[in-house]
Amino acid sequence: MEVLNNRGVEDYQTAGPKQSYFSPYSFNGGSILAVAGEDFAVIASDSRLSEGFSIHTRDQPKTYQLTQNTVVGACGFHGDVLTLIKVLKARIKMYLHEHNKDMSSTAVAAMLSTILYYRRFFPYYVYNIVAGIDDEGKGCVFSFDPVGSYEREPYRAGGSASSMLQPLMDNQVGFKNLPKQARVPLSKEEVVKKVRDGFISAAERDIYTGDEVVVNIITKDGVEVERFPLRKD
Amino acid sequence: MALADVCGIKQNQFSLSGSAFRSDTSELFRDVEVGSNNFSMPFNFDPVENLQQFQQQDSKVKIHFDHGTTTLAFKFKHGVVVAVDSRATAGPYIASQTVKKVIEINPYLLGTMAGGAADCSYWERVLAKQCRIYELRNKERISVAAASKLLANMVYNYKGMGLSMGTMICGWDKKGPGLYYVDSDGERLTNNLFSVGSGSVYAYGVLDSGYKWDLSVKEALDLGQRAIYHATFRDAYSGGVVNLYHMKETGWEFISRTDTAELHYKFQDEKKK
Amino acid sequence: MSIMSYNGAAIMAMKGKECVAIAADRRFGIQAQTINTQFDKIFEMGPKLYVGLPGLATDVQTVAQRLKFRLNLYELKENRNIKPKTFLSMVSNLLYSRRFGPYFVEPVIAGLDPKTSEPFIASLDLIGCPMITEDFVVSGTCSEQMYGMCETLYKPDQEPDDLFETISQCLLNAVDRDAVSGWGGVVYIIEKDKVTKRILKGRMD
Repeated sequence: MEVLNNRGVEDYQTAGPKQSYFSPYSFNGGSILAVAGEDFAVIASDSRLSEGFSIHTRDQPKTYQLTQNTVVGACGFHGDVLTLIKVLKARIKMYLHEHNKDMSSTAVAAMLSTILYYRRFFPYYVYNIVAGIDDEGKGCVFSFDPVGSYEREPYRAGGSASSMLQPLMDNQVGFKNLPKQARVPLSKEEVVKKVRDGFISAAERDIYTGDEVVVNIITKDGVEVERFPLRKD
Repeated sequence: MALADVCGIKQNQFSLSGSAFRSDTSELFRDVEVGSNNFSMPFNFDPVENLQQFQQQDSKVKIHFDHGTTTLAFKFKHGVVVAVDSRATAGPYIASQTVKKVIEINPYLLGTMAGGAADCSYWERVLAKQCRIYELRNKERISVAAASKLLANMVYNYKGMGLSMGTMICGWDKKGPGLYYVDSDGERLTNNLFSVGSGSVYAYGVLDSGYKWDLSVKEALDLGQRAIYHATFRDAYSGGVVNLYHMKETGWEFISRTDTAELHYKFQDEKKK
Repeated sequence: MSIMSYNGAAIMAMKGKECVAIAADRRFGIQAQTINTQFDKIFEMGPKLYVGLPGLATDVQTVAQRLKFRLNLYELKENRNIKPKTFLSMVSNLLYSRRFGPYFVEPVIAGLDPKTSEPFIASLDLIGCPMITEDFVVSGTCSEQMYGMCETLYKPDQEPDDLFETISQCLLNAVDRDAVSGWGGVVYIIEKDKVTKRILKGRMD
């Protein structure tokens, strides 16, 4: 208080220097979770879109189908998400017209990386996970940071509850810290169950996750969507 | 810029796109046809100043790029040993334990990754392209010195804009084994031994106590692995697995990928003997 | 960087059937630098009462000693073992007495009632706001990770052996996603007639 009072006579203080920032981002919450299986991939997100303590909508899943067997999960700032998805879809359509075939999941991932990096100095505030089927017919998951560093992984959580979901998946899907038992690859149904359980737990503790979990099950034949209810408070 | 001219590099020209829409690209398509132009940015925008607010811990909007590392490389009688950890952290959160921090530029060149993961992998991929073009134009492989200088010059163009990269370019050319340190400030050095990243201080400690030019291949690989392990033990931001590479006259060879959890108990048993 | 994550720590407690468990990691570090990997963060406060103190290491030790001092006075005066709930008030009182210059610890308490053997777990914030729960409590630098694990793996009314398995898995997998905690763990299982301490082997990176 001493320091403050020295600035002028009490009650007649002048406002100190004020710094204002260019603030092009906000945070709209949401979580995504993807798991790659033998011949399938599962990618899920919740459907809540919020800002601060208020909820914008309870029905905005954050997974977007790009090709017949590629789905991207994107969350962070929803404005950037929409722009990025628009750009991605346009680029994929251009590819389709030029080469007369769908872009592969691995190619979508590589392209997304460069799209993100070209905004290195004014990034898209978006955390992306791409799930799909690779050229050999195996399930694949790629995770990205906001400026396009990416990596293929067996499973990955992203978004506001990622720090709750990721250690759980390490344990349940990656079999971390478990004795070296027979590590059988999980079936589609088991993966969906674990993903659902993860979201139910995340919705208990994360205010930005809830309402509904939308699970996309990707196989070579296309994408199936299942929805399960979550906490709505 | 004689060398750059030889390689056909023009400043800020990193055209990756060969799209059919290129000729009639309107302003509307600029974002869609990204890659034909430059890095997009609003006018009057200072990326360093304007983005640091979002990287602070208490900011509501958190943009954390993946960071944190221990990497090392050293030259010796039989080539270059490259060893790295595999952890990526965003703040105190461990984003990944399986990052590939050795970037395979071509069969005779390796780059390591420290600092911003995206910065390293992107610019070293651009470097890979430039090296390939050099090969096609000159009918011979690029020297390690030239390759590292290409990279240093590319990132120097972006100095002060917040790129973060600390890399070692390792290779084998006419002069024998080559090792250069290049970073995003534009620094480029050559020496027998480097370590980069938050755990480098610990790695240097182990390296310096065991390093000799005349090490056998087995001893050298063991030293590299040991140094990374000890760094992962002491440094919170390093960990995961140790990836080992050996650069020889015939090009690089991937040696091993060992979990540090295994190494810890192996080295502990050694101490008991 | 927050002062609460200067040294790094992860502590949790869980209720079981006629038993409680409390677990902690073993790292003492200064920001990124790991100094010690056999550091105690859980302190015995009675035959069936333990307190875990995550936070600034210097305050961890100070608070542990001051609590032990107050506890000794209480037990001399009353000539009986303290009830966990009374001990919670004691901790709360100590922390609130430093309301405007707090100790940087967020304690976790686990114990059985000395008479009825009723399980009890609770946690406090750094200025002494108590929170008693019926399932589990977590505190430390990777609380989100621990919440994620506990919320899914926890089941009520587990036997001591199952509770040990659950709390160990929750702790180890949580700290493996936190850079500043981990390097092994320690678990105390508190039952009516015995207390078992087990050291967990974990990733040392």
